[in-house]
Amino acid sequence: MAPIVTDSEQPFTLSVPQSDLDFLKKKLELVRFPDELDDAGWNYGVPLSDMRRLVTHWKDKFDWRAAEADINLLPMFTRDVTVDNFGTLNIHYVHQRSEVPNAIPLLFVHGWPGHFLEARKLLSYLSAASPDHPSFHVVAPDLPGFGFSEAPTKRGFAAHQYAEVLNKLMLALGYEEYVYQGGDWGHAIGRHIATIYGHKHLKAWHSNLPIPTKPTLFAHPLAFLRDLLPYSRTTREGLRATAEYRATGMGYLAEQSTKPQTIGYLIADSPVGLLAWIYEKLVEWSDSYPWTDDEVLEWVSIYWFSRAGPAASLRIYYEMAGGSGRLEKGAAKGAKWTSVPLGLSYFPRELFHLPKWWAPTLGKVVYAEEHDEGGHFAAYEQPGALAEDLRRMFGRRGPAYGVVPGKNGYASIGSRREAVNSQ
Amino acid sequence: MTAMITRRPLSVPDDALALLHQKLALAHLPDELDSARGDYGVPLADVRRLVARWRDGFDWRAAERRINDLPQFTRDVEVEGYGALNVHYVHQRSGVEGAVPLLFVHGWPGHFLEVRKLLPLLTAASPEHPSFHVVALSLPGFGFSEGPKKKGFKSKQYAEVANKLMTSLGYEHYVIQGGDWGHYIAGYTATHYAHTNVRGWLSNYTHALPPRLLSSPWLYFLDLVTPYTAREKEGLRRSREFQARGSGYSQEQATQPQTLGYSLADSPVGLLAWIYEKLVSWSDDYAWEDDEVLEWVSIYWFSRAGPAASLRIYLENTDRLEKRAVEDIKWTSIPLGYSIFPKELNQAPKTWLRTLGNVVFYSLHDSGGHFAAHERPEVLADDIRKMFGRGGPAFGVVPGKNGYA
Repeated sequence: MAPIVTDSEQPFTLSVPQSDLDFLKKKLELVRFPDELDDAGWNYGVPLSDMRRLVTHWKDKFDWRAAEADINLLPMFTRDVTVDNFGTLNIHYVHQRSEVPNAIPLLFVHGWPGHFLEARKLLSYLSAASPDHPSFHVVAPDLPGFGFSEAPTKRGFAAHQYAEVLNKLMLALGYEEYVYQGGDWGHAIGRHIATIYGHKHLKAWHSNLPIPTKPTLFAHPLAFLRDLLPYSRTTREGLRATAEYRATGMGYLAEQSTKPQTIGYLIADSPVGLLAWIYEKLVEWSDSYPWTDDEVLEWVSIYWFSRAGPAASLRIYYEMAGGSGRLEKGAAKGAKWTSVPLGLSYFPRELFHLPKWWAPTLGKVVYAEEHDEGGHFAAYEQPGALAEDLRRMFGRRGPAYGVVPGKNGYASIGSRREAVNSQ
Repeated sequence: MTAMITRRPLSVPDDALALLHQKLALAHLPDELDSARGDYGVPLADVRRLVARWRDGFDWRAAERRINDLPQFTRDVEVEGYGALNVHYVHQRSGVEGAVPLLFVHGWPGHFLEVRKLLPLLTAASPEHPSFHVVALSLPGFGFSEGPKKKGFKSKQYAEVANKLMTSLGYEHYVIQGGDWGHYIAGYTATHYAHTNVRGWLSNYTHALPPRLLSSPWLYFLDLVTPYTAREKEGLRRSREFQARGSGYSQEQATQPQTLGYSLADSPVGLLAWIYEKLVSWSDDYAWEDDEVLEWVSIYWFSRAGPAASLRIYLENTDRLEKRAVEDIKWTSIPLGYSIFPKELNQAPKTWLRTLGNVVFYSLHDSGGHFAAHERPEVLADDIRKMFGRGGPAFGVVPGKNGYA
């Protein structure tokens, strides 16, 4: 079925005003760097030599217009979506249709410090047609307050609202039933979409950042019993790494979930500060991904030139924690176990490594795959591997085959005739 | 040895001042949610107003001249493994020859100027109360002191700087007053130099850990059996609140100070917001004037080592959050006193406070917050006088210098 283009959908062309580019350059020209301790390496934060190099490149060499032109090759749109009590938000998204009419509609949801472009490399994999694997129609939005989507102007835009805006987007595109892939905030939001719209609209979902909880006796007796057995070395190592991340890797999160406005002033006023704040995560959270300077600067420029400004992107931390500062609990609050089929991908340099038998606390796990390489930004670092996982999960022999009625992802013999008839 | 000591009037170079103004002219502010109030961080209206004032009204040179009314000096202090650090300090002698030498130690986001209002009170001579010779340093990496260039500058090194500064000034024996990091550094200096040099200390930052069975069995037992007072319970509640909702900055500073440092070095607006948030939320209804705030933040902006350097103390003294900074304070028997203000961030019960030393003095107050020397100078000065004065529990701790003519 062709997507329904309603009144408010507009094709989107990214075109940052020249005055914004000039302003950025003026700011970069005035940069004042801190000093650095001898042999600091990465032990105190981003190394000064990286920053000097990146700032010089941003100021003198990085070609935003070329990057912009490439981004504009993507099929991008905006449309208005109404959210209860928050009015209308204009949402920006990539909508990549497959040539296979019965391709599976898939919603891809980024996190922080991510954005819609994280889906870029996945698009061709997922929308490719083949008799050997399913194909997907991919919708990759910018979350409200990120990239080129509008941000809410009122307090309290939290799990329910993120779920609502995304579900409404899919419905508006004519996808009554769809599947979902997400990591980082995409994981937390996926849980809420499953809770609120599971089965009715969300037919299955996949996460590359599973954050399960410890199984309890009555809810998950088998997992609970498994949990009583001694942990293997791998499991203990994973728990240790997770504990270390929770203890020493969440400074940014502690600040963003309690004082997003304060840290917002820093990254709104200083492109150099913004660069450091994000680049630190791009490097520390990926699996030795060979970031080029242009890649990093394009990524950070999206934040700098974002519609709502970089400070707006931090508020999700505050809202999802309910202002309590306790994010893990807050982000899961209201999310329930559902029997919506769930697939998981485990990448070795991800931030959380909780025991795999805890996963059923998240939902009905029908698929799990472990990888040898890749980190937090799986769709960007390992698009082929992630795409392969989705193909296996939703393909003909997969556990979630045919979850979306009438859209199994394969061209059928009659499909071309069907496609012609439906127009 | 006068060659090493330089009388140091503050004089920020013209080009530094010009750069600040160029940056302020390009200030780029975020938006704000409706009805955000102060819940999400510093309100936009405050930042807007302060940035405009900083750009157009605040007179740094006038502030500088007034700061230069204070007797400031610099001298090189040798620190084992770190070479010589050039340390900036205020040194105000009392007219009373036998005044008690007192080292005042600031914290973060504080600086040497926090001593300003205390100086006339502490150095004043009177038969009614003791007098002090006051030394207030800029900690290494803060204000106008050099910062260390190498990693690992921790509790022992801060203590070494403090002690060597005082002894090089001819103060073989002295007392210390500190809050925030000044509390910890006073404790570290006591740990390393109690009796031989440090003779007593007064803290206005009530942070300590619960007594442990093996290290403080008596206090552990007392802590178990003694019910907390209503005030102590409220203090614990405030501490938990601070740890849950007010300590994001310290988690970042203790793990990624360099990353955060790029923003603070490059953006005066960011630096202003980062510090102003604490000045307001940590004080007790103190009526900050805009120029007061801007002078305070300017010290950080124009600091010798740059604002990023001031963050490293968090990482170094907690070993990147592997331990608590207070763990490096070991109990000593020199007199310890606490000035306890109700709006302080961390307020431990008395049994916990006693793990840090031989507590001989508690002073409970009904108002006042974290920046006691700045908010309630008379009250703090009064506590210092009470503790070290005639009839006080630490009277005469410094041989030959009891504070009276």
